[in-house]
Amino acid sequence: DATVGSSSDCKPCPCPSGATCALVPKTKEAVCTNCPAGTTGKRCELCDDGFFGDPLGKSGPVRACRECKCSSNIDPNAVGNCDRETGECLKCIYNTDGFFCDRCKEGFYGNALATNVADKCKPCSCSPYGTVDQQTTCMQVTGECTCLPHVTNRDCSACQPGFYNLQSGKGCERCNCNQIGSTN
Amino acid sequence: PSTVIIQVSPGTNLLFAQSGKIEYIPLEGNNMKKEEAKTMIHLPDRVVIAVAYDCVEKMVYWSDITQPSISRASVQGGQPTDIITKDLGSPEGIAIDHLSRNMYWTDSRMDHIEVSTLDGRNRRVLFDSDLINPRAIIADPKNGRLYWADWNRDNPKIEVSNMDGTDRTVLVKDDLELPNGLTFDSHSRQLCWADAGTRKVECIDPYTRLRRKVVDGVHYPFSIVFYGRNLYYTDWRKQAVVSVDRLAEREVDEFLPQKRSRTYGITTTFPQCPEAEVNYCSRN
Repeated sequence: DATVGSSSDCKPCPCPSGATCALVPKTKEAVCTNCPAGTTGKRCELCDDGFFGDPLGKSGPVRACRECKCSSNIDPNAVGNCDRETGECLKCIYNTDGFFCDRCKEGFYGNALATNVADKCKPCSCSPYGTVDQQTTCMQVTGECTCLPHVTNRDCSACQPGFYNLQSGKGCERCNCNQIGSTN
Repeated sequence: PSTVIIQVSPGTNLLFAQSGKIEYIPLEGNNMKKEEAKTMIHLPDRVVIAVAYDCVEKMVYWSDITQPSISRASVQGGQPTDIITKDLGSPEGIAIDHLSRNMYWTDSRMDHIEVSTLDGRNRRVLFDSDLINPRAIIADPKNGRLYWADWNRDNPKIEVSNMDGTDRTVLVKDDLELPNGLTFDSHSRQLCWADAGTRKVECIDPYTRLRRKVVDGVHYPFSIVFYGRNLYYTDWRKQAVVSVDRLAEREVDEFLPQKRSRTYGITTTFPQCPEAEVNYCSRN
């Protein structure tokens, strides 16, 4: 406030070099108005949208603002792709999930880090007849569903050899064929 | 809160969002008075995406994806108020129906479109199906129509419905990639959009479906608004506001803010609402 008339009226902006500031009329608080590239906030302490870090080291060591790191599983046309401080990915695509979009989301399996989108995360599609409690989730990498007794295949969609009646929903039953009259 | 509201100039202004602030540029005819551009409001810890204007109460509405929230403040100065702070995911587009006093917004995390009165009450989900990345949304209060764009890479589209959600129809789906911005000029009946994938600005008459390209080779448009003979769009790559003469079909000027960062939503503020109009919803 240059109108008071004392030699300490004008103070330097509490901002990184190069940034200008303005006073909030009510609170007389200074706000940086032109933060260095990639940073924003009252004191240029935050990263811009699409970036993360801790440019002033407010909660630990100084971490310059870097682009969101989400395993190529975010869309550059989206906004708010990651938490501006921690970098936690918030808008994973291709059925991925996790802090860095680095694993498949529930109900999907495969390799979230595969380069080819088709090789990333595929639906578990566990067979409702052959899966324990009709679960829809499966093993992260192999995609194996949890099968009922004597049920086989990744998706629990078939009976083991010598067993039948998958549709029962209780597992497959032994065929009980006569050993002499059967071919297997 | 550490917010500074500066009264915008009384005439017509362009208003656009840029990381943690809303800036304005006074317009004089078809020219941007760039040297008079200023910050309307500082929201240093927010990421403002959508901006919209209500010409009746002269209020600016904006969405923030960090809290997330929808807030408003008078262009004549004063403190901002949060009007919606709950059950929001990623609000990226706001449309104001100044006649029926409703606001519509898109949410690209909830994948739906909601409506409420301008005070944030009487919320209702209008659409929650066939939406993947809805962003831009525009109201045509005079004809009671709502337009929105979804930039879903597998099936980008521009849709239209009545303001109560009836008669939902896909208006454009061919030769679209990332239709980020939409604007509607009811006077010339032109719905225009900016596409960051095809890198074109195009317009369509939603009634005759006559479509035409305005400019191509744009960089990375995010939001667009018409005023007079011009279209103005924000651009992520240029980090600027670009003006396009829609009759001459060429870019005529650009404003580079002092701060170098992405520019988001854009709208206009003006002293008076369009001449007296009545719509169906304002009667009951």
